[in-house]
Amino acid sequence: MLMPKNQNLIIERWDYRLTFAKEGRARYISHLDLMRTMQRAIKRAGIPIWYTQGFNPHAYLMFPLALSLGTDSRIEILDIALTEDLPFDEVVEKLNSSMPEGLYFVSAARPVMKHTDIAFAEYIIEADFDIPVEEAYEKFKQFIHQDVIEVEKRTKPKKGRKAGVKLIDIKPHIDLINISADKEKLIVELRLPAGGEFNLNTSVVIDAFCSFAAADIVTQYTKRTKILTASGENFL
Amino acid sequence: MKEIQQKVERLLLKTQKPARYIGGELGSVIKDRDKVDVRFAFCFPDVYDVGMSHLGMKILYGLKNQRENWWCERVFMPEKDFEQQMRENDIPLYALESLDPIKDFDFIGFTLQYELSYTNVLEMLDLAGLPVYSRDRKDLTPIIVGGGPCVCNPEPVADFFDLFIIGEGEEVNIELMELYERMKPSAPTKEEFLREAAKIEGIYVPSFYDVAYNDDGTVNSIVPNREGVPAKVRKRVIADFDSVYYPDSFVVPFTSIVHDRAVVEVLRGCIRGCRFCQAGFIYRPFREKKIETIEKQTKCLCEQTGYEQVSLSSLSTSDYTQIEKLLDTLADYTDSERINLSLPSLRIDKFSEELLEKIASVRKSGLTFAPEAGTQKLRDVINKNITEEEIMHTCKMAFEAGYGTVKLYFMLGLPEETDEDVLGIAELAHKVVDLYFATPREQRASTIQVSLSTATFVPKPFTPFEFEPQARPEEVNRRQKLISDAIRSKKIRFSYHEQKVSNLEAVLARGDRRICDVIYSAWKSGCTLDSWDEHFRPDLWEDAFNKCGIDRDFYVYRRRSYDEIMPWSHLDYLVSREFLISENKKAHEAKTTRNCCEGCSACGITTKYGGTYCKVRE
Ligand code: SF4
Ligand code: SF4
Repeated sequence: MLMPKNQNLIIERWDYRLTFAKEGRARYISHLDLMRTMQRAIKRAGIPIWYTQGFNPHAYLMFPLALSLGTDSRIEILDIALTEDLPFDEVVEKLNSSMPEGLYFVSAARPVMKHTDIAFAEYIIEADFDIPVEEAYEKFKQFIHQDVIEVEKRTKPKKGRKAGVKLIDIKPHIDLINISADKEKLIVELRLPAGGEFNLNTSVVIDAFCSFAAADIVTQYTKRTKILTASGENFL
Repeated sequence: MKEIQQKVERLLLKTQKPARYIGGELGSVIKDRDKVDVRFAFCFPDVYDVGMSHLGMKILYGLKNQRENWWCERVFMPEKDFEQQMRENDIPLYALESLDPIKDFDFIGFTLQYELSYTNVLEMLDLAGLPVYSRDRKDLTPIIVGGGPCVCNPEPVADFFDLFIIGEGEEVNIELMELYERMKPSAPTKEEFLREAAKIEGIYVPSFYDVAYNDDGTVNSIVPNREGVPAKVRKRVIADFDSVYYPDSFVVPFTSIVHDRAVVEVLRGCIRGCRFCQAGFIYRPFREKKIETIEKQTKCLCEQTGYEQVSLSSLSTSDYTQIEKLLDTLADYTDSERINLSLPSLRIDKFSEELLEKIASVRKSGLTFAPEAGTQKLRDVINKNITEEEIMHTCKMAFEAGYGTVKLYFMLGLPEETDEDVLGIAELAHKVVDLYFATPREQRASTIQVSLSTATFVPKPFTPFEFEPQARPEEVNRRQKLISDAIRSKKIRFSYHEQKVSNLEAVLARGDRRICDVIYSAWKSGCTLDSWDEHFRPDLWEDAFNKCGIDRDFYVYRRRSYDEIMPWSHLDYLVSREFLISENKKAHEAKTTRNCCEGCSACGITTKYGGTYCKVRE
């Protein structure tokens, strides 16, 4: 009879919530590729990863929140499980011994909250547009003070309904923390909904701004700075 | 660098799979550019996804970077979307490690794996900001180097390269770069450097040879036009294959590529001289690594890369002399580490039940056979020593083990091919289907799919079929139709290749220097990425041939006589012309030749090259 390889083994597991950075060249690794990259990193580190039970066991890895391509961050979360209770700094050190440029682990801890507790994320966007920075600054203020900010959202095909586009108002979801400008760049700090229910990417906001201001981005640098719960606590 | 990086980053978010254009992968080698003396841009003239899968590049990359003061970097052909962006934004072709423009490197090396990548070479040189013709690049650097299997006839691209590396690269690349490092301080001219380089065995400098033609268009002579240049350039062979350099780590890509896994080369060369197969002749003789060496390299690579799959690579891995023992040894390690072991090139006659089981445990993808021809007679012609019995026997075992897909590969347009042989292809597929239905229901898979695919035979240099004409497209089309009309079962899926591609391959494979201008002209009119169906432009190629006044039929449909001077006659791949001629004659008599393991057939190679089965002394 066919039996899953690890059928009768009840293997103890210890959960780890790892915080990692994704910067520089590494910010162009897509979410799907990141999964593979991390699997290999764990394999190289030689830490005793816990495998899921069943017919098709695979290493347990979970990213509670995806990061958009091109965005920097030092606060990304990866949950893994090990079969041994290794000290946190040992896990971090072993993982960091062979990581690609720009990808590294910052800390490890036991998970405290559930993935579904994630509600918001904060970002800093530094952007340089093809219009003078003062103008961009003024226009951004006008943009953000509109009553409605409508963007097109692609809808998934459902039974009897084709994929399409519908207009949604993102205005109530944008929380502007700060806006400033230096010589070349506009600097915008935003809090946006993140996680399971509703997710809003910075690019949606910036694209909406671009069409509002009839401007184009020359360069932009985006960094995620916080992952928060509904009550505004840091996700732990 | 900074400037290129900024420009590139600006474009990445608008680009398909951007991680391909920014480097930074694990295992990529970063050095301090101020501390290196020789910089080598290793170019694969195809897109990242294809090029990153290539083993030769991984070997030479690791090898060159072992030297502290040399820096070898990777360069690939950009996809059309990004190429256009590069041009619009004045981004020159850059190397993935430093993001520096390759125009400023000492060497730019291309590996020529297939003829259809030739226009990509021109495109990449142009993107780099360099003249594509060697004669228009007056400075010493960058020195444009070509290597890989296609350089066994480099003549169709001879005008674009400064030199070619003939044969295996591990030693000669080092010798070439050492020579350059020694000469560099005295600032030699390009001519001076190439004169010295041409003295290294395995280095061919095309501009040092004059080619004369007969009135009928055939080659009259190929002679050196400089003192001290060898009349014949002999390929390099690594005689001690067990101790040749092998990388202990790979660059591990972020994006998925064609072959995304650890690869260990277990043997080089092939014992079987299938007469159509260029690899079978140009990589002779057969040499293999010791089990311990393979085991060590497997462990090391898996640990360094974190890959969960390792493949044992070679032309024919089941011909490894102790294959069962090797698999047993490796399985201990791979099983405990949950690593998949795969053998990409299995031959069915070696397929024992045990072997099938070992692989079955790790490989569910299906069975692949390449009988190449539909009847025993034609398989004898091409010296493909597979019998129908063997195919059926293996399929039977496989069906009983629950396999449900079988892929069968054939060639059309082979010498001596008759309609009976063509119909034999469909017949064989039906027999495989019947065999499935004859397998007890409780053993067999729930359904069967037999995929049949045919490719048009392309005669290649340094094979016994180098003398043969290619079949005409109309004829091949007719034969394809014969097959599709003969297929009665819904379980058989039939696919075939585009004729125009094979015809072009045939010209490029056996062309001479007059083809250079055709390639240039085709590229100028917009041909690149010709191996991609969606980019291939037969109409533009047609125009290029017409514009250059080149009759492609001369190259494709003409039977060469045994005494004709071939465009590649000044290159020596160790297998003798006499052997190729005798093999060609035997082919027309449908007589087979034993493989090297069964007994040496004295193909021209001597014992000094380290071949496991070679018997002839110098
Ligand atoms: S078995 Fe035949 S086709 Fe395969 S590599 Fe060897 S010679 Fe070529
Ligand atoms: S010399 Fe003999 S054994 Fe060696 S490759 Fe040639 S035929 Fe095979």
